[in-house]
Amino acid sequence: MIMGNKIEIKNILDLTANKLNSLEFDDYAITANRGNRSQLRFADNQITIAKNWASLELGVFAAKDSKTVAIELQDLSENSIASALESLGKLAKSLPPNQNYFGISDGPFSYPAIEYLADTDFVEFHDQSIDQVEGAINAAEAEGAKRSAGVLAWEVKEEHLLSSKGASVSENSTSYEFSIRSFIDETSSGADVEVGRLFSKVDFERAGTKAGEIAKMAIGGTNGDPGKYNILLEPRVAADIVAATPGAANPFMVDIGMSWLKDKIGEPIGPELISVYDDALLPNGLGSKSFDDEGHPTGRNVIVEKGILKGFIHNTSTAKKAGTTSTGNAGLVLPQNSNVFFEPGEHTFEELLELTKGKPTLYITNNWYTRFTSYADGIFSSIPRDGMFIIKNGEISKPVRELRISDTMGNVFKNVTALGKEIKQIKSWEVNVPTFIPHVLIEDINISAATK
Amino acid sequence: MPSSSYDLAEKAIEEGEKLGAQYIEARYVNSLMNTSILKNGVPELGAIARSNGIGIRVLKDGGVGFASFNEMTKEEMSIAVAFATKMAEATGKRRSKKIVFSDEKVHEVKFEALGESGKRPFEVDPEAKIKRLMGIDKLIAELKTNAVIPFRFFQMLDETEKKYIITNEGAKIESEIDRLQLFGIVVAVNPTTGSKEQMMIQKGKTGGLESLDYWKIEDFVTKEATKLSKIVTESKDAPTGIIDYVVGPNVIGIMCHENTGHPTEGDRILGREGAQAGESYLKKDMIGQQIGSEHVTIIDDPTLEGSYGYYLYDDEGVKAGPRYLHNKGVFEEMLHNRESAAWMGTNSTAAARAIGFNREPIPRMANTYLAPGTFEYEELFEDIKLGVFMNNFTEWNIDDRRYQSKYVGLEAYLIENGEIKHMVRRPVIETTTPKLWGSVDAVAKEKYLEFDAATCGKGDPMQGAPVYHGGSFMRIRNVEVR
Repeated sequence: MIMGNKIEIKNILDLTANKLNSLEFDDYAITANRGNRSQLRFADNQITIAKNWASLELGVFAAKDSKTVAIELQDLSENSIASALESLGKLAKSLPPNQNYFGISDGPFSYPAIEYLADTDFVEFHDQSIDQVEGAINAAEAEGAKRSAGVLAWEVKEEHLLSSKGASVSENSTSYEFSIRSFIDETSSGADVEVGRLFSKVDFERAGTKAGEIAKMAIGGTNGDPGKYNILLEPRVAADIVAATPGAANPFMVDIGMSWLKDKIGEPIGPELISVYDDALLPNGLGSKSFDDEGHPTGRNVIVEKGILKGFIHNTSTAKKAGTTSTGNAGLVLPQNSNVFFEPGEHTFEELLELTKGKPTLYITNNWYTRFTSYADGIFSSIPRDGMFIIKNGEISKPVRELRISDTMGNVFKNVTALGKEIKQIKSWEVNVPTFIPHVLIEDINISAATK
Repeated sequence: MPSSSYDLAEKAIEEGEKLGAQYIEARYVNSLMNTSILKNGVPELGAIARSNGIGIRVLKDGGVGFASFNEMTKEEMSIAVAFATKMAEATGKRRSKKIVFSDEKVHEVKFEALGESGKRPFEVDPEAKIKRLMGIDKLIAELKTNAVIPFRFFQMLDETEKKYIITNEGAKIESEIDRLQLFGIVVAVNPTTGSKEQMMIQKGKTGGLESLDYWKIEDFVTKEATKLSKIVTESKDAPTGIIDYVVGPNVIGIMCHENTGHPTEGDRILGREGAQAGESYLKKDMIGQQIGSEHVTIIDDPTLEGSYGYYLYDDEGVKAGPRYLHNKGVFEEMLHNRESAAWMGTNSTAAARAIGFNREPIPRMANTYLAPGTFEYEELFEDIKLGVFMNNFTEWNIDDRRYQSKYVGLEAYLIENGEIKHMVRRPVIETTTPKLWGSVDAVAKEKYLEFDAATCGKGDPMQGAPVYHGGSFMRIRNVEVR
């Protein structure tokens, strides 16, 4: 088991499979992932902490007589694995059957090739990481930022899967995530993110410049007035509140009343200009992967086509229940998105500004704290943070503050009037699912404000 | 094996010192978790999670490095110590303002908070847990009300966490804590109008399965689901204009957490969470300023027995006690770890918490509550001409300076001429923190004090900390509702 003090992944997979076979499980999928993740956090223009995580994790989903169990182990001595699996066997005996379970994906499997999952420049990047962060801080300072905070994280990972239905597959990947938030004064701030898998493409200085620019534009902001506005969203805001709707195309969430898309398949939920995919095959996508947690091959699945809701993401069980086939989105418990991809529109940012003429419009560059009064109805509010601006006569006219988006997710998606033509990949503290999305212009959205 | 893991942690301290670490801590954490998930009465999953690893944190040359590992070998430990030390030095050398930690008294202690004998998480058969959960779900599914409840999700999670913290200053803190958490989402539908209302249930406590009886969980869930059905079928529009509010323990708790707990976190005030959870409207030089009325005393106390956020020594080995964040309306104390305390020229308030072996200890809340006042419950309503009694909440959010917040009521009633009348739907309080605390003119007595459990999110990577928040009842005057 122990080879040169490192545990061999193949041995873990074999040991686990043998044990699950001896416990007479009908189905199982075993994942074993080894990763090394590093992080530099910074605040007040200086690095506050450097972190490194060396991790080895074992995950098992297994079923016996339709009783479904799972294990997540970060305790991987031979004895710990054996004892945990014994407990899993006992747990399976004690549970009632899961009537929603219809098996895991059956082979043989052929997996798609994905470009740019792993980058060999990773090692060089590691050595440059402190300079990269300081470059972005300096770029923000050059725009006038007094202090910047943020994080750079990067990772190299190997993932392995073995299933009782013939899946045996491995994949290596690298990734980076950078975010920066810059302040000129306490309430004049801007932010940006830069994420991907190819280290040759990093340009954190660009993100620093953008954060600094927005902060500078936000100086002198005054409290805004509540009311109905058209809103022009930066991709990172759109990735939260516009992409929430394709994100709700999940049968598990529908079943528990946490989706506003129940019984909506086949219906128009947005304008014709919107088409959205769950696409696990995107080059450079942080959610790109060739196999899901059942070992089923992933793919590109249409969620919204020209405004019509076409389908949900599925694992084998949710698909069988819905009379369809797996989309390769199995997670350990529920179907999970890979990358959410919005087809780009036709407009430059300047053209989007032009389109707002004659209507009170807010340009929102960042947001946080999206919460729901009712998921089933999509009733929510979310708080813009950092630079927010009134657009007048097609131009950014003045910074405003202290407003809240208070509307429904249905309205947000339905009222989209234009999309930008440049797509940006977003994954941030607020947006967990990697989302490729452009600037989005939406009409007639309710904006509220705190009373004094 | 704890003994070999303890040895590994102790060896890490020796290695760090050899490498010139000014300060080094090793935190060994062993966690055993069990989860049951129920979707609309169907057992979706029984799950086990076990982790066992060590986190190393080093201060050297004014920089901080952190590394964790879970392959418990000497080689992995040496790599982690070398990384944390090297990166502390590399980043520290570039800092113009060197990081230091406040000097604190060193302790060598053990503490524990365990479930009752026979009720500890690993002592209770999984079948008994899932049957109890299914019984709770069945009560709601079979409830006879004017609404239907087609959407139900429940998750029960129990945990036993053993921790051993050792530092090169001589601190040795050993602890063992059992916790139980019950989370639920229930959605009721008005069959006539199709209108829906959702309710989140979150119960949490240190201890074992006896906590379910402590909560009288079956009665609680039945009562709350019955009220939810009434809300969706009977409630009327909430009043607007300038009105008074009486809010219950659940609403006070979230207000204490969001409007006071977070903005008093030392690292936020220093800007260390600026890109994630944000900063704070409170500043160091505002200590001593009047933030709220004299009725507003907000305490965060990790040492409350049985509480979800319980601990006696924090993850830097500092002895915990009650922190008076606001005292009679005055901003008095902050939540500090040793780093934020040193920046402010003060001592740690024992708020350093790390959620898992692979996380750094940062300032966190534990159990935050509004100190009880002198009023009887009925007295709060007596002279209200027009108002709303908001007993609990549904949607909420707050800006990242913790200045303007919004709370939407779930169970809420009209107050007219001192009397509680019919239910009202989704009343809103959307106002600023100083306005909110400045408008409190009465707080009910200690006998009404209650706590709710929550998982507080902060940090990057995210650290979900178990916390309590609560209060009795309080009156807020002249709230403008649009």
